[in-house]
Amino acid sequence: MTEKQDFYALLGLMRNASAEEIREAYFEAARRLHPDKNTSPGDTEFFLDVQQAYEVLSNPKKRYKYDLTLPAEKPNDRQLDLRVSFSRQSMKRMTEAQLIYILLEFARPDGMADLSTPSLNLCLVLDRSTSMQGTKLEVVKTTALEIMRKMKPQDIFSVIAFSDRAEEIIPASHRADLSKLEYRIHNLQSSGGTEIYSGLEMGYQEVLENIQNSRVNHVILLTDGQTYGDEEKCMTLAHQASEKGIGISGLGIGSEWNDNFLDGLATATGGSSMYVSRPQDIQKTLMDKFHHLGNAYAEETRFDFKIPDGVELRYAFRLQPEAGVLANTSPMMPGPIGRENSLKVLLEFVVQPHALQKKDVTLIDGKVAVSLANAQVPARPVSIRLTRKVSGEPGSDIPPIEIVEALSHLKLYRLQEQARLEVSAGEYDQASAHLSRLATHLLAQGERGLARTVLLEAEQIQKNKSFSQQGGKEIKYGTRALLTSGRNEGSL
Amino acid sequence: MIICPNCQHNEMSGAVYCSECGAQLVDMTVTTHKINNAEARVESARTGKISEAPTTGSQSWISLNILESGQILPLADRTEFTLGRSAEGQPIVPDVDLSPYNAYANGVSRLHASLKLVQDRIIIMDLGSSNGTFLNGNRLRPYVETPVVNGDSIYLGKLKIQLLIE
Repeated sequence: MTEKQDFYALLGLMRNASAEEIREAYFEAARRLHPDKNTSPGDTEFFLDVQQAYEVLSNPKKRYKYDLTLPAEKPNDRQLDLRVSFSRQSMKRMTEAQLIYILLEFARPDGMADLSTPSLNLCLVLDRSTSMQGTKLEVVKTTALEIMRKMKPQDIFSVIAFSDRAEEIIPASHRADLSKLEYRIHNLQSSGGTEIYSGLEMGYQEVLENIQNSRVNHVILLTDGQTYGDEEKCMTLAHQASEKGIGISGLGIGSEWNDNFLDGLATATGGSSMYVSRPQDIQKTLMDKFHHLGNAYAEETRFDFKIPDGVELRYAFRLQPEAGVLANTSPMMPGPIGRENSLKVLLEFVVQPHALQKKDVTLIDGKVAVSLANAQVPARPVSIRLTRKVSGEPGSDIPPIEIVEALSHLKLYRLQEQARLEVSAGEYDQASAHLSRLATHLLAQGERGLARTVLLEAEQIQKNKSFSQQGGKEIKYGTRALLTSGRNEGSL
Repeated sequence: MIICPNCQHNEMSGAVYCSECGAQLVDMTVTTHKINNAEARVESARTGKISEAPTTGSQSWISLNILESGQILPLADRTEFTLGRSAEGQPIVPDVDLSPYNAYANGVSRLHASLKLVQDRIIIMDLGSSNGTFLNGNRLRPYVETPVVNGDSIYLGKLKIQLLIE
C-alpha cells in the first residue's frame, strides 16, 4: 500500500457495503488475525489497521466523513477483470422452462505490473499403502524430491505419508532446512492400508500452521486406493479447509481409487482432481499442478450468491485453468486465477415461467471474494449480479462462439456423467446408448482411442451392469481433458 | 421447446446442444469471425477503400449470408426485395437473383420469397414457391408474413441462408 490505506479494501468490502457486511468482515478478519491466534510476523500490525478501519466504518458519522476523503474509484485501479457473456440476449416469456448459459471470465487486468511469483505453503500427502509398492512409490518419491528442490526461499513445504495411520515425514519448513531432510523421503517404505482421513487431517494441520493470506495454501493428496468409511470425515475437513482458505487437490493413480470422492474434495475447496493411469505420468501431472499453484495471480476465489425463486443454477463448471465441476450451491469455490491463464466458469441456468413476470429477470446475485497471491490485503470483492431482459417477442439468438465452443466439449463430459447416473439407477440400456453417442462424437473429433474405450465400456455395462474401474475413469477424465486441449488448438 | 432434429428429444428453449445425443441445436455454420471478415471484404470491394476500417454496410438493413459459399449479399436502398432466380426467356426477374448460388439445383423458385422492412421490423413471406421457405426449420405458409430477427436461418428450397440484420 503506497498511499493512505483504503479501509474498505483492508476489510475486503465494497464501498457500498452495509453495516452488517462491515461487521461480518471485521469479525472474520479478527478471528484470523487476533494477536492470540496469528502466527506470522506482521499479522498483529495488520490487525491493528483492521481495527482502525472497523472503528471508522462502523460509525456512520465517521464513515461518512471518511468516504468524503476517498478518491473516486478509478476504473484502472481494478485488481480483477471480469468478462461476462450470455448465451442469449433476452429471456422469452413462455409457458415452459428455458435455459441460459453464462460464461464468466476472471483475469488479471491487462498491463498490471507483474507481481513476483507468490510464495507457497504446500503439503504433499502421500499414500504409502502396500498397493503403492514398486514403481508408483518410487516415482512419487522422486517427484516429491523434485518439487522440494524447486522451493523458493520464502516457500514452506511439508510431506505427510499415510497408510493405516499418518506420519509427518517432513515438517513444514523453509528450503534451507529441507535438504537435510531429503533422506526421510528416500527412506519411505510401503506397508499397510489406506486411511485417507488421518493423512489429510495431518496435512491440513501442517498448512494451517503457516497459513497466510499472501501465500498459496494448498494440500495435494496422492493416492491409489479407496478409503473406507472416513469419506464423510474427509469432506467435513474439506469444508473446514475451504473456510480457512486452504485448497485441496487430489491425484488418483491407477484405477482403484474413488474418483467421486477426490472430485468432491476438489469441488469443495477450489482445488482440482487429477487422474494418471500409468506411474510414469505421475511426475508430469504433479509438476503441472505445482506450476499452476506457483503461477497463481489469485490463489483463491469464493463466490457467495443467491438465486431468486424460479431460477435454478443447474450446473457450474470450471473450463480453465483446470477443468472441473464446481458446486452449484453457494458458496462456490471456483479456484485460483492464473497470472496468464484466466479463470473461466460456465454456468447453466434453468428459468421457470413464473420468474419472468417482470421486465427483467435476475439470474444470480452475489459477490466474488478474491484473495490475491502476494498481497496481505484481500482484493476488493467483485459484485456479480446478472440480469436479462424479458421479452414477449420470439428471439433467435446466436450464442457467442466461446460458449458454443465450450459447450461442444462439455457436452461430451456430460454425456458420460449422464451414463453414470443411469448405471447407478439401473438403466443400463440407456447408459449404453448414451455412451455409443459419446463414442460417435469422439470419433468425429478424431479421438479414436477414447472412442474405443467408450464403446468397450458400453458393452461392458450390458454384461456387468457397471462401469469398469479403469474404463470409467478414463472416460471421465479423458472427456474432461478435451476441454483443456481443445482450447489450445483454438479450433472450432 | 426445441425438438432435436437428430433424435427428436425435447430440449428446453435456449439449449445449445441436445443433452440426449449431443447434436448441435443452433445454427453456427458460419462463425461470427468469418461473417465479420466477409463483411469487411464485401465492404471494401464495394467502396474500393481497402485499408479503411470496415463500416457496417452503410445503408443496408439486411444481409444475406449464403451459407454454402460463405458469400454475403448486403441489401440496401429499398425496403422490399423479392428473392428468386432468373430464367432464360422468362420476363419475371426477382430483385435478388440467386442464380449464381446454385439456386436452380437447390430448388429455388423464380419468385420464391420476399423480405420487407416495415418500420423497424423485418418480415419474410413465401411467395407460393414450389419447394417452400423454411424459417429455422419450420415451413412457412405461403403468403403469410412472418417476422425475422438477426441470425435466423432460412431455407429457400434447399438453399441455406442466414439473415444478418443490423
